[in-house]
Amino acid sequence: MAQPITMPKFGQMTEESAIVEWRKKEGDKIAKGDILFTVETDKSVMEVEAFTDGTLLKIVVPAGVMVPVQTVVGYIGNPGEPIPATPPPPAPVTLATAKPAAPAIESKVGAASALRPAPVGVPTPVPSFVPAATPAPPAPASFRISPRAAALAKRCVIDPTQITGSGPGGRVIEKDVRAYLEARGYDKLRISPAAKNLAAKEGVDLLAVTPGDGGRITVADVQRAIAERPKPMSKMRQTIAQRLTQSKLTQPHFYVTVSVDMTDLIAFRNQLKAAGEPYTITDFISQAVVLCLQEFPTVNSSTDGKTTRWHSHVNLGLAVSIEGGLVVPVIRNAEQLTLREICDLSKQLAEKARAGKLTPDDMSGGTFTISNMGMLNVENFAAIINTGEGAILAVASTMKQPVVRDDKIVIRQMMKMTLSVDHRLIDGALAAQFINAVKAKLEDLELWKRLTA
Amino acid sequence: MNSKSPIYLSNRRPDFRPFEIDCGKIPAYRYRGNLKSELKAKTITRQEAIDLLEDMLMVRELEEMIVKLRSGGYEPLPGYDYRGPTHVSVGQEATAVGGCAPLRITDNITSTHRGHGESLAKGTIAMRRMTVEQLKARVPGCGATTREELLEAALEEHLYRFICELFGKEDGYCKGRGGSMHIADFTVGHLGANAIVGGGVPIATGAAMANRYLRQDNIVCCFAGDGAFANGVVLESLNWAAQAQFTNELAGDHRFGLPIIYLIVNNHYGMTHRTDDEVMGIDHMARRAAGFANNNMHAEIVNGMNVLAVRDAVRRAAELCRQGNGPVLLEVNTYRYWGHSLSDPRNEYRTKEEEAAWKAVDPIETFKKELLDAKLITQAGIEAVEARVRHRNTRAALRAAAAADPDPADVIKYMYTDTKAEVVPPEFRNVKLLQDPPPIKRTDGQITYRDAIKEALIEEMKRDARVIFYGEDVAEYGGAFKLSKGLLETFGRDRVFNTPISEACICGTAVGAAMRGLRPVVELMYMDFALMASDQIGNQAAKWHYMSGAQTEVPLVIRASVGGGKGYGGQHSQTLESVFAHIPGLYVVYPSTPYDAKGLLKAAIRDNNPVLYVESQLLYGLKGPVPETDYLVPLGVADVKREGNDLTFVVWGPTVHDALKAADKLQAERGINCEVVDIRSLVPLDLDTILRSVQKTGRCVVASQAIHIGSYTAEIASTIQDLAFDYLDAPVKRVGAKNGIAPQSHILEAAFLPNVNDLLAAANEIL
Repeated sequence: MAQPITMPKFGQMTEESAIVEWRKKEGDKIAKGDILFTVETDKSVMEVEAFTDGTLLKIVVPAGVMVPVQTVVGYIGNPGEPIPATPPPPAPVTLATAKPAAPAIESKVGAASALRPAPVGVPTPVPSFVPAATPAPPAPASFRISPRAAALAKRCVIDPTQITGSGPGGRVIEKDVRAYLEARGYDKLRISPAAKNLAAKEGVDLLAVTPGDGGRITVADVQRAIAERPKPMSKMRQTIAQRLTQSKLTQPHFYVTVSVDMTDLIAFRNQLKAAGEPYTITDFISQAVVLCLQEFPTVNSSTDGKTTRWHSHVNLGLAVSIEGGLVVPVIRNAEQLTLREICDLSKQLAEKARAGKLTPDDMSGGTFTISNMGMLNVENFAAIINTGEGAILAVASTMKQPVVRDDKIVIRQMMKMTLSVDHRLIDGALAAQFINAVKAKLEDLELWKRLTA
Repeated sequence: MNSKSPIYLSNRRPDFRPFEIDCGKIPAYRYRGNLKSELKAKTITRQEAIDLLEDMLMVRELEEMIVKLRSGGYEPLPGYDYRGPTHVSVGQEATAVGGCAPLRITDNITSTHRGHGESLAKGTIAMRRMTVEQLKARVPGCGATTREELLEAALEEHLYRFICELFGKEDGYCKGRGGSMHIADFTVGHLGANAIVGGGVPIATGAAMANRYLRQDNIVCCFAGDGAFANGVVLESLNWAAQAQFTNELAGDHRFGLPIIYLIVNNHYGMTHRTDDEVMGIDHMARRAAGFANNNMHAEIVNGMNVLAVRDAVRRAAELCRQGNGPVLLEVNTYRYWGHSLSDPRNEYRTKEEEAAWKAVDPIETFKKELLDAKLITQAGIEAVEARVRHRNTRAALRAAAAADPDPADVIKYMYTDTKAEVVPPEFRNVKLLQDPPPIKRTDGQITYRDAIKEALIEEMKRDARVIFYGEDVAEYGGAFKLSKGLLETFGRDRVFNTPISEACICGTAVGAAMRGLRPVVELMYMDFALMASDQIGNQAAKWHYMSGAQTEVPLVIRASVGGGKGYGGQHSQTLESVFAHIPGLYVVYPSTPYDAKGLLKAAIRDNNPVLYVESQLLYGLKGPVPETDYLVPLGVADVKREGNDLTFVVWGPTVHDALKAADKLQAERGINCEVVDIRSLVPLDLDTILRSVQKTGRCVVASQAIHIGSYTAEIASTIQDLAFDYLDAPVKRVGAKNGIAPQSHILEAAFLPNVNDLLAAANEIL
């Protein structure tokens, strides 16, 4: 019997997913570990491997169809093996961009099942020769244009969606296009034939192209317009945009900045490094934050505006810049980990992030996040709180600064940190206490000696 | 009756004195002869007798081949996939061969779905009568020189083309388009088998009308089964053929009965029902004749298992026909050994004993005995004939199986012919007029739509003696709408005559007459009545050019008058051209002006395709300029009745005038300039003119008086959106009558029919 391939469940909360692409086609030989297909989750595209050797006998769920997790999406087995009867995936939701494809159902009963008896007792509708007196007008589309007007717009290589329609139901008709062309001075445009061809091919609105010096639209002008054209955001960037906008709109931010004297800690870290220890400055900051979050439970909380919720565990998010965006892997139960464990886990998660292999679970459930731009030469910055968390710590670059110590100006390695705080949860005094507690821990060399001992 | 005028005024008086009708006697089984007596009387030659045997054997060999092919047991073609009907007539060979034996090459037959016998025999018998030159023409590639060799080659070629047709091959008589049930060979006068039971009978009758009209010496033998003689069109045909006006004083100097033999192939079963004692109330089919002619149509009952008896009866019947004493009806009693087809086991409706009794008088075995008794041939000689027949059939079948299939690209080739009667043959140019044609009243060069049609008829009837005109009440009375008043007086009753109220025969006889070289114009008083004739229009007129593989053309015009708008109700008001435009093989035109009415009718009469010419009673009184000169409006050319840039009305018939009014109104009230395209011809459709207009205007309303559902307006609208989508500034709108039945009440009818306001509403929706 052929083995079913099911839609994996990538995150605890994932209920349904869609296959982005089948990497194998029906009839392909499959070795265990081959990538069968990819699945897009909120922040990443996951590859799904084959668990067994064999032949891909059947693709049940084609790309683009949203199905519940654990749905059978295909079968692997030996050629000619029977494929078990499967129920159709429950009411697949077809993505707008994907072609609807009925899941093919193979059945052992085969042709016999096609000869289903007609349902008994269902009255046959009698075709009516009298149409409804006034057929309901179709729901107004957002933009309606007659074929003739569309053809004219296409010939002129312009975008007709800006045109106000005067036809029935607001349909743009030829007259409207002509009026628009006249109003926009289309006749006065001078366009090189090559530029027009390119614009037509690329779907560039010639009226939106700024002519170059000669007043004539050339290929270069069209190419510039193409380069300037809005491009769709990746799924990841859209997720980032959606989350951060939500945060800024619902969580009133305020910011508290301190300067931390990192001179001693850096020197100590250099010693450790020379001795072959793996710690980074970020690990120390993480550890300091974890310790402080236990001291300040309100900061390790979240609010929906009506209730507050304290998180008994510290799930520490670490913002990691990757190709095309930003991900925040989470170190779970960080309060139970040693500095060394935090160090190792951070490294693993960062590598996984850069390889694009984080699972949704790796990125969910954070209670506080650190965003470290120390290596990017910034004096100071403020971060946006990850939705659902209470605060975020933005760590800037460490820089040699003249500072006053014992009434003398000395050169110290200073690092600014800015805490962004959800004001609904945390007030200024608490924020100040918290960030100063972190600062104090970072400047307490004895603490680090103890923790690295 | 005036000796010069064909006008007849009835002067019948009431006479209610008691009396009795004497139906006379119908003889049965008159033939008392046998082969010996016929040889002695020199009514048959030795060779003719042997030929009768060979022809019967040929038929049986062919049909047994079909039976074996269907079961995969025909040895020369093991496993050959024969697809097609298996309506074999084994047992009926004497009827087929005896029925064809007395016929001349130029005599005609029509046959049936069970027509292998007469279809094959008409050919073999014709070939046996052909000259060496005629035979050479049938087998042009044959190097043979002696008559005997040429005949043998022609017979084999005949079988080959016949079997090719059964196998659906390009070399078949009908190029594989017709098949077993529609086989025809016009070169030997075979006007076609017919798969509509009874459908061929009015065609045969029309062919006989043509033979009579053309004063040719040919007769028609119409083979049809006992089952067909319950069908309306068959009984109408008998009535038609026996009309008094063909033989009484109305016929003037041409008293001549229709030269046709209705040969009832009475095998006692209509498919499986028993005609005797079950679905008919008469004991003998021959009684039918008594209902239609005082002379019982010279009816006889004939032994159909005896080839000599059938031959004798048909020879005497043919003689009667050639003398002008037709029609003749013969009931030929025979028996179908197999069932309706090979899927019919027969035991559900008849006994084995019945079958055995008929097989005991098998026509071939019986005749073999006669030949042996008369010492015309030895047993060895008979076996030699049988072997020759078998081998010939095998060779033809092997060749046919290997012959080329038709090219799929040619699937609709032969649907229409592109020929026209551009030149009238000299023998038909000299048209005798009994008097001057009725004058057409012209005012400032204008005549009515009615007179335009009349003028076209007069011109074409003067131009070509092959054009005849008939219909209900078209003669003295001049038609229900006085359109043909005066034509009888001008052209005489041979060319203009009243018909029985028998629309199926009006159209069906026109098909037969057209096949035999006439160019009939027939009138349907109301278009609604076309449904009475739907088989003859849709299955016969439209299809024969294609089904015969282009052997024949069917140049006829059916004038159908639309009564809509007069408050005549549901059965006198329909606009049905959409129904007929759906039938391939038929042309459909509908003029809207006097000018178009004349030009289109003249073009339709000269076209070699069947044309349904639709005219509207609402328009009969419409006046317009019509040249007195000879001009044609070609079929398939639309006319722009009004030029404009903003919107196109695609219309025909009376709706053209509504569209013109709507256009004027839109111009006056909104400054909108509409174009009105009168398609004039639904089939063929002038798409170019329609598309050119829509490309210009971008908006289109397609309208006619037909009800909305299934109207040809939908066909046009669909084609426009398909081919001119990028030119459309709005959806194509359709306007038609309500989806209902024409009411009598004029209030309701006004609401039913589309009008100017409906056109304006549709136009305003998209402007």
